[in-house]
Order: sequence, then C-alpha cells, then structure tokens
Amino acid sequence: MLLALKDVWVHYRKVAAVRGISISVEEGEIVTLIGANGAGKSTTLRTISGLKRPSSGAIEFAGERIDTVAPDQITKFGIAHVPEGRHVFPYMSVVENLEIGAYLRTDKAAIDKGYEEVFEHFPRLRERRKQQAGTLSGGEQQMLAMGRALMSDPKLILMDEPSLGLSPIMCREIAKIIRDLHQLGRTIVLVEQNARLALALAQKGYVLETGSIVLDGPAQELRQNDEIKHTYLGIASTGEADGKSDNA
Amino acid sequence: MDLDTFVQTLLNSIQTSSVYALVAVGLAMAFGVMKMANFAHGEFYMIGAYVLYQVYQLWGLNFWIGVVVAIPVVALLGVATERVIFRNTGANILAGFMATVGLGFVLQVAALQIWGHGLMKRIDTPYMGAAEIGDAHVGWQRLIIIPCAIAMLIALRWFLYNVKLGKALRACAQDPETASLQGIKVRNMTMLAMAIAGASAGLAGALMAPVAAITPYMGHHIVIIAFIVIVVGGTASVGGAVVAAIILGFIHTFVTTLVDSTTAAMVGVGIMALTLVVRPQGLLGRETP
Ligand SMILES: Nc1ncnc2c1ncn2[C@@H]1O[C@H](COP(=O)(O)OP(=O)(O)OP(=O)(O)O)[C@@H](O)[C@H]1O
Ligand SMILES: [Mg+2]
Repeated sequence: MLLALKDVWVHYRKVAAVRGISISVEEGEIVTLIGANGAGKSTTLRTISGLKRPSSGAIEFAGERIDTVAPDQITKFGIAHVPEGRHVFPYMSVVENLEIGAYLRTDKAAIDKGYEEVFEHFPRLRERRKQQAGTLSGGEQQMLAMGRALMSDPKLILMDEPSLGLSPIMCREIAKIIRDLHQLGRTIVLVEQNARLALALAQKGYVLETGSIVLDGPAQELRQNDEIKHTYLGIASTGEADGKSDNA
Repeated sequence: MDLDTFVQTLLNSIQTSSVYALVAVGLAMAFGVMKMANFAHGEFYMIGAYVLYQVYQLWGLNFWIGVVVAIPVVALLGVATERVIFRNTGANILAGFMATVGLGFVLQVAALQIWGHGLMKRIDTPYMGAAEIGDAHVGWQRLIIIPCAIAMLIALRWFLYNVKLGKALRACAQDPETASLQGIKVRNMTMLAMAIAGASAGLAGALMAPVAAITPYMGHHIVIIAFIVIVVGGTASVGGAVVAAIILGFIHTFVTTLVDSTTAAMVGVGIMALTLVVRPQGLLGRETP
C-alpha cells in the first residue's frame, strides 16, 4: 500500500471538516474522492500534503508516518499536489513554473528528461513556454499545474478538481492525460465533483459527505450504484443508464 | 531655467532617482514576499550611513571598504528583523507596524549611544571636485552614486530572473502556499527578501553618507519618499518601484530647483494620491500579489 489514511480527523478551529476517514491507495492506482461542495475533499488532500495538520489519526506513505511533515518537505517523500484552482505562479513563464516544480531536484539530466516528459503530455505548453502563466487559458493553466507536479517525478499525485471550470473538450483532454499518466504507472488521488468523469477514470472510489465516507468500492461498482447514479451522476431512473457512456 | 541649470538639475535628478530606487526596491521586495511593510526601513538606510562613517571616517579605511562593509551589516540587520519581528507578528499588520516603528526608534537611540549626540557627523569627501559640463557642475561624490545604484539594480534583476533561488523568491511572493508545496521554505525566502532589503538600503545610506547630513533621524525623510514610490509603482512590484523612483526623483529635483522643497514634497504626495485614484494598484502593480 502506497498511501493510507487511518481514522483521520481534521478541524478548522472547533469545526470538524473531516470526520474519521480511512482511505488506502495502492501503487499504480487512480483513486477518486467524490462529494459535493464542502464535503471535505480539499481538506483531505491538504492534510495529506501537510498544509493542514490532522487533529487525530495517522497518515502513512510508503510505510512512513507523514502526518507531521511540513508541506515544503512533502515533495521529498514523492508527493505532488495539484491544488484546486490550479495556482500556477501567474507572473512567471511556463518554463519557470516547471523549473520551480523541480525545485528540490539537482540532477540536471533528470530534470531535462522531466521537461521532455511534460512537453510530450502537454504539447501546448511547449508552444507557450515563454508565455506568462497568468495569461494562459484555464485549461492550459491546469495543464501547467499538472506539468509542474510531474517535474518533481512524484510517486503520488494529488489532483484537486482538475476539471473545474473547463469546457467539455478541455475536460476530455485532461481526462486523457490522466489516463496516460495512469498507463505510465503513476499513482493518482483524484478529487472531483464531476463524478462521471472521476468514476470513468478511477479504479477505486470514495464518496464523501460532510466529512465522512458514506460509500466506497471499485469505481465499476460505484458507477452502478443507484444512490450515486441519482445524487452524483444525475440519472433519475435506474436501469437505463450504464457506465459505458460515461467515458469522458 | 537656462541650459546649464537644466543640465545640472538633470544630473541631480538621476542621482536622486538612484537613491530613491535603491531604498524603495528593498521595501517593495520585502512587502512582496511578506505582505508586511517595514517601517524601520529608513533606519536601515541611516545605519548604512553610520557604518560608512565608522569605517571610513573613524577607522580611516578606504571609502569603498566602508561601502562594501555597510551592505552585509545592514543585510544582517534585515535578517534579524525578520527573525525577531516578522516571524512573530505573522500576518498581523498592526503588530508588524507597531513593532517596526518601535525598531526604528531603537535603532535611532542605538545610533545616538554608539556615535554620540551633537551635531551631524562630518565626513571628509572622498571624491573632491565636480564634473563640469558647460557652466553646470555636479560633485563627483554625487555622480558615483548613479553607476553604483545601476549595478545593484542590474544584479538584483539578474538574481531574480536567472538564479534558481531568485526564482523561488518570486514564486514565494506570488503564491507562498503553492511555493511551499514545491519544496520552497517560505521562511528562508522572507529572510532572503529582508536581507536584500537591508543590503540595498545599507548601500544607499553608505553612498549618501558623504553628501548627506548624518544624523540618527536621516531615515525619516527617505522612508516617506520610499513609501510614496512603492505606492505609485505598485506596492509589491520591484520593477514598479524603479520606474516610480525615476519619476519621483525627477519631479522632486526639478520642483525643488524651480520652486522649493516643500512644494516638491507636496507634489510627490499629490502624485501618490492621484495614482491611488486613477490606478490604485500602482503603475506596474498587479491585481493579485
Ligand atoms: N480555511 C478554512 N477555515 C474554516 N473552515 C474551512 C476552511 N477551509 C474549509 N473549511 C470548511 O471545511 C469544510 C470542507 O471544506 P473543503 O474545502 O475541504 O470541501 P471540498 O469538498 O473541497 O469542497 P469543494 O468541492 O467546494 O471544493 C467546509 O465546510 C468548509 O467550509
Ligand atoms: Mg475543494
């Protein structure tokens, strides 16, 4: 097991945003957390990457406890976080953003390989390498945020709502890249409100409601679950719809 | 204004702009990374001048040794300010204001204690004589400030855009949380920003020491101008600070020559007020930090 959350609670002052969740992620998997606004998805990812401390419970990564590790140490463990809302460095060029993604790496040849890998996944970024990141389109910024994460050559990538605010075409492009990354053996925790997209990509899913996991299982099964169909996939009647058309 | 006066005022303007730029750039740099203003920044400048006085006038060493010593001494003062004050105030703007204003007073008293009361300190001018262009003449001591400032600003720009650490500093100014997720230690970056702020203010103070009146209060005037400069340029924008320093340096110098210094100060504040109305983010300011 690569990542394990064990009975993790997270509070904002006195308010519990995450209430004793347990999650496990195997190497090479895409695991998705789905849930409505305010369910605690971002809080969970922020707790994994050290931006937030859990108030109780344990987080293990590759067998080591990481729940007291500072965010600036987390890339050393091999975890990269693609934050909600992309958060590219707006007044830096595309290349500089990528360079900062490799901040802790020193092996020049490996970094150059990193650029190549990113530009292969995102040819658009190569075209726009000199452009200021803040002037990129939303989809391009998402690509850059993902590229920046890849530059640290992470063992695990945390992605917070990569499809947020993107056109359907751009969503499909991002989905394809996530699938490519999976095929290349990357492990991904994917947070999404777009459950259709997320369950099409993931092997395993957790459904979060007001800080608790209410449902989990193989993505295949979750797609067929009536409640999920109703609440998250927007399918009213059962029986007709099927998972196949969900492929984004 | 005849041609000679014009040329002379022009050269004086460039020299004034250079000093404004050196002092304001550090203030903008620190503000960009910490989103906190250092109200003791004028006293950093003052300490730079006293370090030069100590090394050059009292110890009798070479003028340039004094300049070179002032830079790291005041840079260290900047680092200490970060460690002792800003690290504890966090994002509490009021606490940062009170603490740095207090630090300003402490540094003034320290200067009084170390270098004594009484009249301003006299420094033998290291570079006597003046450059003469027609009937215009500007002292060499003032003119050498210009290439020094330009060199410092070019070095700073080179550092910020070409060195990995400088890029990390910019990343941190733009989005500290995301910068930390890339492995950048935000605290080290605030310390670095304060070191740069101290270094440039110290350099400015040392260069001005032979031509200014060295007193514990000499930082007042310059820090007010520096704040006007960064508001006009865009509080967090280093480039904006340089542009605004040039504009204000010219306007101050010309208005002082044509009218008087009180009017010049008023015009400066007027420009700031106008900027706040027309372009609140400043000339090169950004909507987001
Ligand atoms: N900085 C904060 N301070 C206080 N409460 C917070 C903070 N951040 C989040 N919360 C609260 O924690 C709960 C979970 O928020 P979180 O951002 O994790 O939800 P989310 O599932 O990511 O939602 P969304 O889909 O809208 O991004 C919410 O009730 C939210 O109001
Ligand atoms: Mg969220």
